[in-house]
Amino acid sequence: MGQLTETISQIISYTTIYALASLGIVIGGRTGVFNISGEGIMLAAASAGFIAAYQTGSWFMGFVVGALMGGLFGLILIYIHESLKISQFILGITLVILGTGLSDLLYKTIVGVQLFAPEAPRVPEITIPGISNIPIVSAIFNQDVMVYFTYIAVIIAYYIFYHTRIGLETRAIGEDPLASDVVGINVTLRRYVTTIIGGMFMGLAGAYLPLVVTGTYTTNISNGRGFMAIGIAIFASWRPERAYLGAFIFAAIEVISFQQQLGSSVLPYQFLLMLPFISVLVIMWLFRKRVEFPASLGKAYSRE
Amino acid sequence: MAVEEKTIEETKWQLFWNGFKPYVLALLIAFAISGAIIGLLGYNIPKAYQTLLFTSFTSRRGFIETLKKFIPLTFATYAFAIPFRIRFFNIGGWGQMLFGGAMTAIVGIALSGFNLPAVIFIPTLLIVAMIAGALFAVIAGFLKAYYNINPIISTIMLNFIAFYFVNFIATNEPWKAPLSGHPMTLRLPEAAILPKLFGQIHLGIVVVGIAIFAIYFLMNRTVLGYEIKATGLNPDASSVYGIKMKRTLMITFLIAGAMGGLGGGIEVMGVHSRLIEGFALTSGAQYGIFGILTALICQGNPLGVPISALFISILLVGADAMQRTLQVPVELVFLTQAIIVLLIVILRRKAGGSFIE
Repeated sequence: MGQLTETISQIISYTTIYALASLGIVIGGRTGVFNISGEGIMLAAASAGFIAAYQTGSWFMGFVVGALMGGLFGLILIYIHESLKISQFILGITLVILGTGLSDLLYKTIVGVQLFAPEAPRVPEITIPGISNIPIVSAIFNQDVMVYFTYIAVIIAYYIFYHTRIGLETRAIGEDPLASDVVGINVTLRRYVTTIIGGMFMGLAGAYLPLVVTGTYTTNISNGRGFMAIGIAIFASWRPERAYLGAFIFAAIEVISFQQQLGSSVLPYQFLLMLPFISVLVIMWLFRKRVEFPASLGKAYSRE
Repeated sequence: MAVEEKTIEETKWQLFWNGFKPYVLALLIAFAISGAIIGLLGYNIPKAYQTLLFTSFTSRRGFIETLKKFIPLTFATYAFAIPFRIRFFNIGGWGQMLFGGAMTAIVGIALSGFNLPAVIFIPTLLIVAMIAGALFAVIAGFLKAYYNINPIISTIMLNFIAFYFVNFIATNEPWKAPLSGHPMTLRLPEAAILPKLFGQIHLGIVVVGIAIFAIYFLMNRTVLGYEIKATGLNPDASSVYGIKMKRTLMITFLIAGAMGGLGGGIEVMGVHSRLIEGFALTSGAQYGIFGILTALICQGNPLGVPISALFISILLVGADAMQRTLQVPVELVFLTQAIIVLLIVILRRKAGGSFIE
């Protein structure tokens, strides 16, 4: 593989983290639920997913447990929000802290301190015969299972939201829950379903970190990526396909600034490491006029 | 007559109890949950509780440690609490502490050749810390007011930017300390270091006292405080009555940042005597995070901030001791605090309180 192909291959792997996490935010946001707890979910799912994979020796179990952890966080958020109409943002922030605490607590009590960092079972890669030798294109298709899963998830999410009745109804809830309720759509049920599924996607993003990116669990493994995913969802105007594009842009910035840091260049490396975070602000500023929100985003809905 | 008076007395007591009940219940439930976890993990529950709750009171060291955490935590709490009054979320208290601390070190080192007396040097640096924190925070206020960029996101991004900025200052000429493994700057001149009052407690405790009074005065006795309160209660109505939303938003972020920056500057000048990477951390997490929890416990009420901060400081000191003596992971208290906040929000809501929706 050439240098460029290798870089693109790494960017696509990192894109998967951001895409899964922001897809989770997008799916929940479509019914008006703004789940900002991605960082906490990713940390808790990274820890729980890694422990599950390490104990059972199965990478698949790691992702299952990661998704379940994410779904549980989604359920907590939507249950408290729906039953008491407490601010989604306050709940989200508290869940971030809960997830942060839970991640290290789980790891310390179950795995503990070990002489060598425990390694996760390898996630299999899928190669498509014939394409593997073509430069650049091979970077897109010579990837682990979750990368393909993400391609498919984005396409399915796009198809459901824009080409099916159920998707149209779901988007309508995000725009005007009262009107949806009037025509007989079960708003509360849809909000539960999208928030839990959204949480599961964030959980997958979290589990991807120790199982694929680093190969082991470390404290604060997501390092702000759960928050950057919020920026991506906003940039994407809550559209799944644009979320993938946004994820690719941020992944590219992260991978390239990391490579530049190793190569030592004009800028001190700290400023290169700041780049992904500065670029979130710059991109949100650049696209501020083209960003659309579901109208009821972040707001509680009650019938009276 | 007598009967009526009695009922009034009872209603007063009832009101008082209704206000307190959510807190009492939340604490009891949260401690029951964490007690169950401690038991499940096989630790001695009574001993763990004793350590968690009473370390601050049973030893001189515990008491001093509590005050040492109380100082920065109070500032971090104000950083979240003040914009929270108008329903904006400043997650950037940590970044404002880091930036305030970094600028304090930069200016302190730059002025080291002038042989300033402490009476001038210390106030100068405290003001530098406040201005630095305020300017750093107002970026988020400005982005919200004029470009509608969500402060939750911008302040989090600014946290990371501040983190790498501290790392840059602590590892580069002319600031870095030669021959040190951990990233840190040169020591501040003696006249810039906050004098110790008793034990390891430095002048920062006095600054906290002044800040608590100043914030109380600002929020309750000034027009600005009134405007902030009114905006928080009803943003639409306030704008009708001529309170400028953008201005109020920027001012709350300025005050919040000044508090955060001051907290960072005081840590640099009072505890470490230099800028050191990881200086605004405690019990394995950022002061910013604990500040958010602390502010949520008192719902951002300025008078509640010091009480709530003292309570969390006691828990943090207890958690450190619990990890040291019983090997109970310190993250447990992290979890407990998040559960306490969640329960307080829920129970207050059920009791019909809480202006936050």
